[in-house]
Amino acid sequence: MPRRVRSKGESLTLRYAILGAWALFCLAPALWFLSIGLRPRTEIITPQPIYWPTFSLDAWHMIWEDWPMAKYLRNSLAAIVGSVLIDLLLALPAAYSLARYEYRGRDDLGFYILSTRMMAPAIVAIPIFFLFRGMGLLDTVWALMLVYAAINLSVVTWIIRSYMLDIPAELEDAARTDGASDLRILWEIIIPAIRPGIITAAVIAAIFAVNEFLFTLLIASTPNAYTMSVALANFTGGSDGVIYNAIALVAFIAFLPVFLVVIAIQKHLSRGLTMGAVKG
Amino acid sequence: MARIELSNLGKRWESVWGVRDVSLVIGDEEFVVLLGPSGCGKPTPMRMIAGLEEPSEGLIRMDGEEITEVDARDRDVAMVFQGYALYPNMTIYENIRFPLRMRNVPPSDHPELVREAADMVELGALLDRKPSALSGGQRQRAALARAIVRHPKVFLMDEPLSNLDAKLRQAMRVQIKRLQRQLKITTVYVTHDQIEAMTLADRIVVMEGGSIQQIGTPDEIYSDPANAFVAGFIGSPPMNLVNGRIDSGTYRAPGIEIEGVPAFEGGSVTLGIRPEDCRVAREGAHLRGEVFGVEPTGDATYLTLKAGDILVEVKADRGYRAPLGSEERVRFDRDRLYFFDTAGGARIASDSGASGG
Repeated sequence: MPRRVRSKGESLTLRYAILGAWALFCLAPALWFLSIGLRPRTEIITPQPIYWPTFSLDAWHMIWEDWPMAKYLRNSLAAIVGSVLIDLLLALPAAYSLARYEYRGRDDLGFYILSTRMMAPAIVAIPIFFLFRGMGLLDTVWALMLVYAAINLSVVTWIIRSYMLDIPAELEDAARTDGASDLRILWEIIIPAIRPGIITAAVIAAIFAVNEFLFTLLIASTPNAYTMSVALANFTGGSDGVIYNAIALVAFIAFLPVFLVVIAIQKHLSRGLTMGAVKG
Repeated sequence: MARIELSNLGKRWESVWGVRDVSLVIGDEEFVVLLGPSGCGKPTPMRMIAGLEEPSEGLIRMDGEEITEVDARDRDVAMVFQGYALYPNMTIYENIRFPLRMRNVPPSDHPELVREAADMVELGALLDRKPSALSGGQRQRAALARAIVRHPKVFLMDEPLSNLDAKLRQAMRVQIKRLQRQLKITTVYVTHDQIEAMTLADRIVVMEGGSIQQIGTPDEIYSDPANAFVAGFIGSPPMNLVNGRIDSGTYRAPGIEIEGVPAFEGGSVTLGIRPEDCRVAREGAHLRGEVFGVEPTGDATYLTLKAGDILVEVKADRGYRAPLGSEERVRFDRDRLYFFDTAGGARIASDSGASGG
């Protein structure tokens, strides 16, 4: 027995060492970006290796004072939050229907919803452009909200559906005999019971929305509707050349909230990301 | 308070019939138990009464009014489920109150009604807890309280005790029966446990293979089984069923010979005899076999005899002992012999053999 305990202790140390190394490897780009973002521009582009970096808030001042970064952040936030709310509003009843009702073509419908995620987005880029031009929504946050919602609706629906399938049917039978209507059941029984699933789906949708670039570029032609992801691209052109430290800092700022949220809900997230692996 | 009539109910899934030809009249205040092995379709008629399952054919009437197509929430029935089905996000108080809210009972009445129902199942002290903080027995009582809180016309119970341990099950059984008598509510109860059925029911409906095998009081089911399935399913230990033949008034099977039995033309006959209707006896024995097992249980000793390839269980005196392999003789109670057609299992009508109970 003592031998086993010792060997377990050794393997534990080894495990932490390996996991720690892996974590460092994964975090390296983020930390590197932070370090670039907090150093003067000249120091970054010099070919000589630098052992003692200089701390500088040049980039920080620049992105807030010379660029409307606050507006970009606001645009991102509004488009993302709005799109997630739209998704939940549509996905909850859709998922409930797919999980619980029996009707012809239900599974085909579910697959159709998922399949909207399967084509290359560029295929619909031109039609979407004309669609929003027709609606007069080009270069607005509203258009971004709708596009993000459309992109993520399938994933949100499927994640929520997989959680709903795990709820015992008995619970709904009980509510029905207790006198609850379908909407009451959804609202009072199902939604509270799948709250972790709803949070997971919302976070995954938000992550996709933060990173969305193609459609945002297509729709946002002026800073009026720029988001963080498109704003980043703007640091690479123009008379100033590529402003590496600003890019790095903005990228880090865009990354940080997502990172923190993911850490906060990581227990649920792994379930959401393996959706379909076990059930669904 | 309600009288329920089921006429020719059937439920088909795709091309498979789950249950078929279920006709049953449940009287006001009656306690009816649907009994059968798992997979026999016994919950289906109950779920149809609840409105959770739509019959593929047949009619359901409650107090003379047809309710076959009426939505579950518009029927005044309450159901208790095997897995309790308490709402996990609500406290016990909110769980019990839920049916009152859904059926628009004036909110000012809620506290009193909830309290009353909780007291009836001795749950008063736990109202603030969440279901996850309760033991199995407490959860079951909470589910009962939720069912009785609005005084429904009909109680439906789907294996409510099968998740509890044996001791708790017995205590809950007594409580359920008391509640039903006290509240005088028509009750349909589904179980696979024949002891539960015998102890609770006014009438038992024995089901197998999706159809009703027999309807009767526990006594009738026990002492006058309609067929070999019912005979073998009811009773613990179960009735001995032995395949043999009747020739010129004598039943013969390996080691067994019984004279003066009703004639039966047409093949193999199954003899049914309960262990408690057998006696170890030197004189006038019907069965002669080798001692295969001796099991003292305290109040009796169960003796298993082997003759040819058949085994017959006999309830002997508590003091009975015999060495394995020795020869033993057993006499049957002639009034308690049952004969079934081996093909199909139907009871062979007789006037001289088994007397009805």
